[in-house]
Amino acid sequence: MYAPLKKTSTGPLLQVRGLKSYFFTRSGLVKAVDDISFEISAGETLALVGESGCGKSITSLSILRLIPEPGRVVDGEIIFDDHDLLRMPPTEMRRVRGNQISMIFQEPMTSLNPVLKIGEQIAEVLRLHRGMTNGEALTQAAKLLTDVGIAAAESRLHDFPHQLSGGQRQRVMIAMALACDPQLLIADEPTTALDVTIQAQIMELLSKLARDRQMATLLISHDLGVVAGNADRVAVMYAGKIVEYAGVKQLFKNPTHPYTRGLLACIPRLGNKDPLPTIQGQPDDKNNGADGCAFLERCSTPCSSGGSKIPHLQEISPGHFVRCWRA
Amino acid sequence: MIPLLEIRDLAKTYRVPGKSGSKPAQLKAVNGVSLQIAPGETLGLVGESGCGKSTLGKLVLGLTPVDRGEVLYRGTDLVRLSARQLRPYRRHMQMIFQDPFSSLNPRMTVGETLAEPLIIHRLCAATDRQSRIEELLDQVGLDAAAAFRYPHEFSGGQRQRVSIARALAVEPELIIADEPVSALDLSVQAQILNLLREIQTKNKLSYLFIAHDLAVIEHVSDRVAVMYLGKIVETAPADELYRQPQHPYTEALLNAIPQPDPSLAGRPAPLKGEIPSPLNPPSGCSFHPRCPYASEICHQQEPELRHLGSNRQTACHHSDKVGLKKP
Repeated sequence: MYAPLKKTSTGPLLQVRGLKSYFFTRSGLVKAVDDISFEISAGETLALVGESGCGKSITSLSILRLIPEPGRVVDGEIIFDDHDLLRMPPTEMRRVRGNQISMIFQEPMTSLNPVLKIGEQIAEVLRLHRGMTNGEALTQAAKLLTDVGIAAAESRLHDFPHQLSGGQRQRVMIAMALACDPQLLIADEPTTALDVTIQAQIMELLSKLARDRQMATLLISHDLGVVAGNADRVAVMYAGKIVEYAGVKQLFKNPTHPYTRGLLACIPRLGNKDPLPTIQGQPDDKNNGADGCAFLERCSTPCSSGGSKIPHLQEISPGHFVRCWRA
Repeated sequence: MIPLLEIRDLAKTYRVPGKSGSKPAQLKAVNGVSLQIAPGETLGLVGESGCGKSTLGKLVLGLTPVDRGEVLYRGTDLVRLSARQLRPYRRHMQMIFQDPFSSLNPRMTVGETLAEPLIIHRLCAATDRQSRIEELLDQVGLDAAAAFRYPHEFSGGQRQRVSIARALAVEPELIIADEPVSALDLSVQAQILNLLREIQTKNKLSYLFIAHDLAVIEHVSDRVAVMYLGKIVETAPADELYRQPQHPYTEALLNAIPQPDPSLAGRPAPLKGEIPSPLNPPSGCSFHPRCPYASEICHQQEPELRHLGSNRQTACHHSDKVGLKKP
């Protein structure tokens, strides 16, 4: 049975407060997500940016309560539509997943079932969450495929995933994610596996759908170009922490954390052939259990306080937060 | 000047089993490609997945048998040589692959991996081998202790450094780099791009640099060749190509690069349609179904690659109109 949670307030749709997701591995504790907070309002797109292992995907899995063993959320609150998802009974959580919050993944080939026709896969969501009959669900599935730009949708319902191109598979994933008209869409590297011309099409589709449906989007990406073109606000993550958080224009115009500045500097830009500025060293996934600033060893401008303590996230101008002793 | 490498009318067709009962289909992966690389030059080869760019790299190295055409290395046609005759030439041409995880033997230490080509090609006495390995590691920015470790102990960027050291071991003149940075994080990508350039200057190397990322290609290349469905559609010096593309596909690729600058809103609409199947390429110009400039002639007649000025070539009926719409 479908029972929508009542929308009661006008505050942000999603508020993440002090979230900590740790992995208790045999070789020790890994603080994959370490005390992060952010919020997203309806219709808004927040981008989580960072390199592999920085915790951006674990953040999204924490919201859906899908962290794999040996990881778990150890602290924090995830308030979605006035309900704390972390304290919700599993049965209720299942009603939220794929219904009010849905997710699209990087690899459309591995996240679609290869032995089920795509029409079936979309219809399943609608039968489960909306209680539709099979016939109703398939009609609705065809309509969704048309919405995401797949031509001759009714005949494509009977295709298997391997019969579609990478771009079309990602469109099917989007259709599935949108089936129940979610309030929040989590898009984890939605275009990374796609060619550039197809990437541009998919990003345009996502932003149009978000606009039309007043849907909030959590966009997870390592590509600062994609982020610049599609996000309203950006959180830059490094070693499990948010190191900079600002409006998209503020962030690109006035990047303040040395890591953000380094990332922006090392993108090859058209028309510039100089050697690229680099960030020395590489992300160290074992370092973040330490007490000091996790970026200390790679930082180009070491600070006076030596980074021996973890800097706080401080507001340097309205809405622009930076975690650096020098800010 | 004799080019280091000259490819003439190279072609490779794969036979793909058809559905039961029907004849095998022909997939023209590389369809009549001609290119030249001068000593010390970097030729960038760009195109989307399935366009034949990796097949072209394999054909040049003789890793895949050639159906038609010539691969001239300093004037000698490698296609006609027997495996034994080819071996000394293999030393002059090396390859770096995209995935540094699957292209290194996990059971060999880095030292063993680097020693292997030295032994096979009898490049240095056993007593000098250790110092040669240390020298190679130093060239790619790894310390001598790395020789005793296994690939899994390294990060992606460090493994790519090992792959580069392995390629350098035989003192090649030409390195074919197939997407060498696309699996790496942004900050590490910049380090590897700088390293590739540094060793090019020091060792007087030529590169055939294969990638899908036009910003990376433009950054590293002297000249660029753009490939679409098995054919070269445009070649030009890198800076000219980016300043004034003369093939609509090149223009579309340039427009599709996500720019890390949120103020560049209202960019040109992305290219419509998908990349056609190479099993069933469109009539006439294979780009015409997606081309904003297409006219009647494009449906019927395939444009030839023709010279525009001394160092540019393009295969388009409407090359004079391309680029003028650029903002």
